[in-house]
Amino acid sequence: MATARRGFLSALAAVLLSSALLDAQEGGARPAQVAGCPSKSSEFIVCAKAKAAAFTPPRNPDGTPNMNGAWNPATANGSQNIEDYKGDAFLNPQVSLIVDPPDGRVPYLPQYANTRQDNWDHYIDPIGVCWLAGVPRQVYAPRGIAIVQAPNVFAFVGEFAHEYRVIPTDNSPHIGDSIRLYMGDSRGHWQGDTLVVDTTNLTDLTWLSISGHFHSDALHVTERFTLVNADTILYETTLVDPKAYARPWTMAMPLVRFEKGHEVWEEPCIEADHDLPELVREHKIWQGLMPAR
Amino acid sequence: MPRTADGKPDLNGIWQALTTANFDIQDHAAAPGVPAGQGIVEGNEIPYQPSARARKDDNFRDRATLDNEAKCFLLGVPRTMYAPFPFQIVQSPAYIAVFSEYAHTTRSIFMNSEHPSGPIEWFMGDSRGHWEGDTLVVDVRHFTDQTWFDRAGNFHSADLHVVERYTLTTPDHIQYEATIEDANVFTRPWKISFPLYRRKEKNARVLEYECYAYDHEERARRGELGPR
Repeated sequence: MATARRGFLSALAAVLLSSALLDAQEGGARPAQVAGCPSKSSEFIVCAKAKAAAFTPPRNPDGTPNMNGAWNPATANGSQNIEDYKGDAFLNPQVSLIVDPPDGRVPYLPQYANTRQDNWDHYIDPIGVCWLAGVPRQVYAPRGIAIVQAPNVFAFVGEFAHEYRVIPTDNSPHIGDSIRLYMGDSRGHWQGDTLVVDTTNLTDLTWLSISGHFHSDALHVTERFTLVNADTILYETTLVDPKAYARPWTMAMPLVRFEKGHEVWEEPCIEADHDLPELVREHKIWQGLMPAR
Repeated sequence: MPRTADGKPDLNGIWQALTTANFDIQDHAAAPGVPAGQGIVEGNEIPYQPSARARKDDNFRDRATLDNEAKCFLLGVPRTMYAPFPFQIVQSPAYIAVFSEYAHTTRSIFMNSEHPSGPIEWFMGDSRGHWEGDTLVVDVRHFTDQTWFDRAGNFHSADLHVVERYTLTTPDHIQYEATIEDANVFTRPWKISFPLYRRKEKNARVLEYECYAYDHEERARRGELGPR
């Protein structure tokens, strides 16, 4: 458990100064296999779906699959990158989390072909100044999440910067379109034993990775959570954003149950010793995709 | 009384205090920007040690810069429970989460388990819960000395120990009580109590109040942050 207990400052240094590798502190080295499946996303999703179809999940008293507990996005590398990446002095190697399109690349509109690189070169990752991670990044942000379920509610607690998301699963409608939230407005429902979460009302002030992947305020996210076995969730997320992407695209990855007794603890962020002008001396604050760049 | 599947009182829902205690937990007259209010302290007396009372007066004088709320930092326990923002309780048998709208404050209440050994300094402390009959009792330790009880500068040290009691008195009211101990600051334990009201709006949800991010955005727009 101790490896997951680094203070925020070590993560902050890695995120902001890009000088330290995050590897093992995000829950251990990347596993080659998860739940008897290859951990590479494009292979994991096929194998995990077959296993999930044959698995009868443990259930809560209300009959929903029981996903309570602490979970590690073991192949996500602390959200350093989401595409294939060979690794360099700043970011670890990454195997793409993208399963569609098949090339494993984010299908940006042509006018944004260079924007991710520009973000990396000139802007600070918004979570580096303690802004909320957004959706879907919250699920695969550093140090894992706890899931807590109650009747008609599914909630996440992230250790990273004590971020949370509460998802009503009672068929209630989204909030009004003019209310925009870093974490959006999430509504869920069960399709068989899969929780399907629909998230709208997002801003363009969050990223998808330290490396600068981005979206606009038109982002609409669909997530699917399915137990593959008692200790593994297949997590799938599809992003639709006609202002930023040429087509919908999908990531998939395993969430692996932490060892018994693992508790997600408080990690302050803005409360840590934090000299904002110093942090943004070389990189600008991201103000969203739409303003003239 | 509504109960969960395991027979405990069902505290799930969105709740909010309707006191003026975030301004001052003691009785206070109105002042510009401050509504008058009757306090939440039993007997209205906070038993400060003499040196601590002087510090409280200094805090009050410098509250515009020293109070965590002015910095958009976490408010700690018990202040989060009477800050003027709604919070949602999500209750499972082993773990109860409390999610406040203020700066995405999260409290994790681990049931029937021991505090980790300290010293650990957490803004929200370490919360361990158990049921005494139909009352949820939460023991909270491992605090920082950086949170206050209110905008009036009432304060504690890192040795603060809070024991909270949550009792559902109707389906829509929780009676909240907390006993506060801190041998570095107070001469004896003291108590606060107030009701929590269920938010009944049909579309109620906890939204976001990300105060420091709004401040960053505004300063960035004005060109005060970023490379020259």
